[in-house]
Amino acid sequence: MALKSGLQMDESALIRAAQDGDHAAFEQLVRAYDQSVLRLAMNLLRSPEDANDVYQEAFLRVYRNLHSFRFDCSFHTWLYRIVTNLCLDQMRKRKVRKEEPTVLATAEGPLDRMDAVPEERVDGDPQRHLFSGQVRRRIREVLGELTPRERMVFELRHYQGLRLRRIGEVLGTTEEAAKNCLFRATQKMRAALGDFI
Amino acid sequence: MKDCKAVREQLALLLYGELSFDEEERIESHLDACVDCRAALKREKELHAAFDQYEATPSPSLLRDCREDLAIRLMEEAAVPRPAHDGWWDRLIDALTWRPTGALMRPVGALTLMAIGFGAARMLPASLSANAQFAGLVPGAARVRYVEPASDGKIQIVLDETRQRIVSGRLDDQQIKTLLLTAAKDPSDPGLRAETVDILNTRAQSADVRDALIYSVQRDQNAGVRMKALDGLKPYAQEPEVRAALTQVLLKDSNPGLRTQAIDLLTKGSSVDRQVIGTLQELMLRGEQQGYVRERCRRVLEAMNASLETY
Ligand SMILES: [Zn+2]
Repeated sequence: MALKSGLQMDESALIRAAQDGDHAAFEQLVRAYDQSVLRLAMNLLRSPEDANDVYQEAFLRVYRNLHSFRFDCSFHTWLYRIVTNLCLDQMRKRKVRKEEPTVLATAEGPLDRMDAVPEERVDGDPQRHLFSGQVRRRIREVLGELTPRERMVFELRHYQGLRLRRIGEVLGTTEEAAKNCLFRATQKMRAALGDFI
Repeated sequence: MKDCKAVREQLALLLYGELSFDEEERIESHLDACVDCRAALKREKELHAAFDQYEATPSPSLLRDCREDLAIRLMEEAAVPRPAHDGWWDRLIDALTWRPTGALMRPVGALTLMAIGFGAARMLPASLSANAQFAGLVPGAARVRYVEPASDGKIQIVLDETRQRIVSGRLDDQQIKTLLLTAAKDPSDPGLRAETVDILNTRAQSADVRDALIYSVQRDQNAGVRMKALDGLKPYAQEPEVRAALTQVLLKDSNPGLRTQAIDLLTKGSSVDRQVIGTLQELMLRGEQQGYVRERCRRVLEAMNASLETY
């Protein structure tokens, strides 16, 4: 497609300019991807502070290592390798610490910070309201039970819309392995959520 | 049906469009024939919709914070080349544990600039660092909150940033000067501008400082700040650009005190240039409304033996 190759050319030009020390070009690169990076980190980590940490570290690593980017994969893939590694590290640390920073202990029991935020999409529909409470909590639990890798594959496929082949590239594995991972994740979730949905 | 279990396991991948052509064909034809699996597919879609609902969207303010933080990090990164083994987390810890008190307590010496706070940053001096290009990442990463002269000749500048930071240096340090020149134009804080102008007044021998004072005397919204800037310019009232500014004050300022001072400065000395006389005449001609200013004009013109109308 002409348009797509045009965009790609623009991006390679941007990358080359940034590699040559053009800060404005680097900024454009950041702006092209930072919203989806932040969305990824926020959705996985559910903590603005942690998401910001990942954002900072990811783009600093890009900045420091851009000179070694050789165009043997897309910039998007390269960036996502960095970001997913940072997120996986963070998720694994949490697993070890058994820490769930989105859950606040309150007098009435644990409270999900995300649940505490009023649902924007609640439009007085009691059915919908019920969803934002119970089901949301259940989904969080189930996602928490996935392995970091399963969680990541699910995130990349469901929320980021990446194809499994790309996910394999990002995570340094095969499409088949990514597919198995997604399969396991969805099986677990269907088993856990079947009664709720 | 014996295929049902196998089909249901594949429903998620079917929805994600991640099945091969053949697999998809097989499942579609099963679904055509099996009402139970069609119901299962419907539930699978509902499950997907539920996941969609669970998505956490970062707030715009979080994105803005991230961009501001990154701009600062990148400036630091480019300003201070560090060895490769010095990790980001080390530096983060450094940044988090570094408190302004140390610098505040520092004894006599050069200027100390202190930075505090966070904020709806608006202005980052373009030359704050060699890498200010990164300032473009954010609407603005730093804003001077207030400034404070110390007896030892040091100056403290408080910056609004996403995190506390101290900038320290002598007034002849370009970075310090740039911050001061920026603070002098901060639209949100007349107190800050007044303090800054006070400091700049001590350095009015430098042309760029004088430019800032000229800017303030003509453009500052606050008469007190304009008055201070005028004080700083007094010793340079013979400089052409200062005279031009004083003329503008005389013609356009609304404050009679400032305008009277402008007349005094413009007419100080034995010879008054014809341009000033022209200005005074113009004021008289257009029927100067402020009595004190009119009176002063009249007296100066009389003393010059100049016509009250034209020259
Ligand atoms: Zn069936």
